Order: sequence, then structure tokens, then C-alpha cells
Amino acid sequence: MMEQPQSYCKGAEVLLNLQPTSSVTIQYHPHFGPHDDLILLELDEKFLPDVLYQRVTLRGQPDEDAVLCTKSKTFSVKFVGNSNSVFLVPPADYSTSHENQQDCDGDNYKQKVAAPVIKVAPGNMELVEVAPRLDKLKSILSENLYGSDEASAMEDLEFMETSMKKLYKWDDLINKVQASDDELKAGLQALSAVEIDGYWRIVDEKYMDMILRMLLHNSVLNDWSLNALIEEKVVSVLESDGFPRKLAYHCLNVYGSRVEEAMDGGVWRLDARRVCVHFARRILKEGKRKLESFMEEWSRMIPEEMQPSFDMLEGEVLTEKLGVETWVHALSVSSLPSTPAERFAILFKERSKWEWKDLEPYIRDLNVPGLSSEALLMKYTRRSQPSIDAEPVFSAR
Amino acid sequence: MQIQVKCSCGAEKCPEWAIIELQGVVELQPSFQDSLQNLPIGQLCRPSSQENYTFTIGYHELTGSKVALKKPMVVLKKIKRIDVDQSDGGGSSGASSSSTELDVVGVIRHKILFKTRPKALISVKEKASGTDAVARKK
Repeated sequence: MMEQPQSYCKGAEVLLNLQPTSSVTIQYHPHFGPHDDLILLELDEKFLPDVLYQRVTLRGQPDEDAVLCTKSKTFSVKFVGNSNSVFLVPPADYSTSHENQQDCDGDNYKQKVAAPVIKVAPGNMELVEVAPRLDKLKSILSENLYGSDEASAMEDLEFMETSMKKLYKWDDLINKVQASDDELKAGLQALSAVEIDGYWRIVDEKYMDMILRMLLHNSVLNDWSLNALIEEKVVSVLESDGFPRKLAYHCLNVYGSRVEEAMDGGVWRLDARRVCVHFARRILKEGKRKLESFMEEWSRMIPEEMQPSFDMLEGEVLTEKLGVETWVHALSVSSLPSTPAERFAILFKERSKWEWKDLEPYIRDLNVPGLSSEALLMKYTRRSQPSIDAEPVFSAR
Repeated sequence: MQIQVKCSCGAEKCPEWAIIELQGVVELQPSFQDSLQNLPIGQLCRPSSQENYTFTIGYHELTGSKVALKKPMVVLKKIKRIDVDQSDGGGSSGASSSSTELDVVGVIRHKILFKTRPKALISVKEKASGTDAVARKK
């Protein structure tokens, strides 16, 4: 194969394009040194465009290990040392104070062809995909819930200013929470957070309860079907009842879904499970209840159009037998930490032995990249089976 | 805080850097310790059309080959906009002041790897070059 004439005589170019039967002097760069500011980062080929097109960021507080975020994923950044000597050779034009480009041709070609080493790299950074650290999102947003007092003090500037210190805009959140943009958005949605006046807020459950009850009340008064709520009507009636428009809309979003798009807002259907879970939580907020009395009160609170069923409460309540009585108490999976170690610690504190059907709703959302749910169980639980045909029981390791 | 990883090198035009990797360490003779600039380390030679290379350092010769990295690496340069915090030396934990930026200055796809121990060329004691290869198996 005929090669093109060599057109480089310096830097990485000459090294990478070294022609057969030729040689190059490897030498120390005029600026050779430790250069701690030069970092090698190894990454999958598929993420290279994200880096080159400036779509990645490093996120974390000074006391946290930095994570690297693409639009949709989060990676922890780990240093991997190398006991070999890794000579790093930059391209010829890397340093501006470098002496002028020499002509590659001519008599002094042999002396001038050289590749300078800028540093010896002690290793490189590596990326490991991790779950987003969203527990912090919940905790910082929970410091200052949006409640009815704030809603009624909308115009009160003083009130706004005094509460300002613990509010977070999107940009504050990406500075504080170690998660990619997509994961952060999903996290906000999972928390039923809403953007009010530019700040992301979790609405106090008590206040949500007021809005929902009023909505249900209005639907009875006006003979609305909960499967076909006209957004414009619902929102304007709630507004006249004294709820901010934004919160009326948020209520539809939290307890329902839009079934029809339209110019003036469309049609919504309330989700039976979400509404039923809401009322179950309200009842059990006071503490545990006998199953019968819980079921009676629960059925009474739920709108007629909806059929409560105990299956809806998977991952929300636990039942236990005390003597002949069956009791229920609240344990919401959404209130549990998202890191497996902490999650299992709390679950085994709740009860020391779990049957699979009870345990599964509390761990199925655990997301650890690279670990299957079987692997998670192996790591954090001990599985025992009293007899061959008995259900397996999981206890703490 | 958030550090945007910038790429002033212009995406696809991002220049390619190179790595020469060898076992052990190249030890400097003490007399050259303070005058490293432009000091030759050795001669890298490609004897044939194959991607095989020899690297001659002093009287030692290493034999190796050019290999494509399994995963590419980017070269990041840490830039401190305001020179306040110098304590952040390790470079492993990102940054400690809000003025830090990371700029992609290059991409590495290949290295010339010398994975064997050096072979002594001759047994003459005197040194022609200022450096010497010492293979130290870890």
C-alpha cells in the first residue's frame, strides 16, 4: 500500500501516523510536569457525542462525590490507578508557547521529528452508572411544604419573602441534587411536585385533601362524571371556592389523567387507585386500625363511582394478625429511602420476616444499575423455606 | 453545584492525543532532574508496515504494538476561573470552588503499548542519553 507523504513531524500526530521504517524521538515537553489539571476520563463510545457536544455536567456539593450526568443517566466518577507508565502526548498545537512549527522536510528532518510527553498519567477516571440520588430531592422539598396558609397569602409580599429562603428553582435543584435532568424530572413527578411561581414545591397532603374533597363535592353538586371531568369547569369552580388555579390543575394531575386534549384544556378522568390510596392514607395517618373498621370508613369516604379494593393498597398498607383480630397500618413505599441498604434496614425493622407477596411491592421500584432484583435479594436478605411446598420467607442477613 | 463540561475543541474536530504506555518507570539521572525541557527520552521506531514498534531508551529496547483502546478517553482540562482555592489538588473529586470549569481538550483512541520487559541492547556502562529505563515489576 502506498502511503501518503508524511505531513506531521510533531506531537501526537506523528506518533499516530508514524510511517513504516521511520522513527520519532520521544522527549519531555517544554511544559512537562504533574499537570493535575489534565484528567483522563474513560467513557463508552456511545456517550462520546454527549461529551463533545457539551451535554454532560458534573454535579455535587463539595462534600459529595461528584457524579457525571448526561441528559438521562447518572454516573459515579471513580479514579483507577495504573502502575504502568502512561506517557501522555498532546497534539503539536496544544501549547501556544511551543516553538514555531518546524518544516517537516529538509535536512534537519531527522532532528526535528519529535513527540513531546506532557505528563505521566497516574491513572484515569472511569464512569459507573448509578441510581440518581433522589432522596435528597424529597428531603429538601419537604422542608417547606406548600399549604393552605400560603395559598391564601398569595398577595402578601412579606409572607412570600420570609418563606423564600427554603425554596428551590429548577437551577437550584440541579445544583443540589445528583441526578440527570430526565431523572430529576421523573423524581419531581413521583413526588407530585408542582412548579409554583418558578419554585418546585410539594403540596401539603392536608391541603391536597381539601382540594380533592372539594372537587368530589363539586362533582356531586354539578352532576359531573369522574370519568369525564371538563378541565375548564373543574378548575374555574375550584377557583371560585378559593383555591389557586395552579393548585386546582395540580389536583387533576395528581389524582387523574387527561383522556382528551382540547383547545380549552380537555377532559380528565380521576384514577380510582390514586383517589382510594389517598383516603386510605388519610385514615391511617392517625395510627393502626382494625381491618373491619378501616374498610368501613374507607368505603364511606370513597366516591360512589369508585370501587375500593384492598389490592389497591399494595405498597401502602400492611396487615398483621394480633390474636384473632386483623389490623392494618400504613407503610407507604414512597416514604422509604431509595438506596437498597437503607430500604432493607427499615423493612426488616418493620418486621423481621417477610413473605414474598408482602415484600415485593416494597422493593420492586429499587433501581440499582447492573443489579437484578434477584441479586438484590441475595445481597440483602436471607431466604428460608420451612418446607419444600411452603412459601419462601425473607429475613435480614 | 454544577460544572458544565465544555468542549472548546469543536466536537468532531477534537484533536487526538496519544499514549505511550510501558511497564515500570523511566527514571531520570539525578543530574537531569531540573532540566527536563525537550530532553529526549528515547527513540520510537516502526520497523515495518505492521503496527509493531520498538522503543529504545538508553541501552534498553522495548517491543510493543499500537492498540485501539477498548473505550475512548477524553482529556479534560480543569480551569479555575478565579484563583481562590488551590487546595483541590488530587483532581479526583471534581471541584471545590464554584469557578471551576472542565474543558475537553482532546480525545484518545489509541495507545502504543509496551507490555514486555526491556531487552538490554549492549552491556556498556556509559550512558548516551539522560534517561534510563528501569523495569520494576509491581
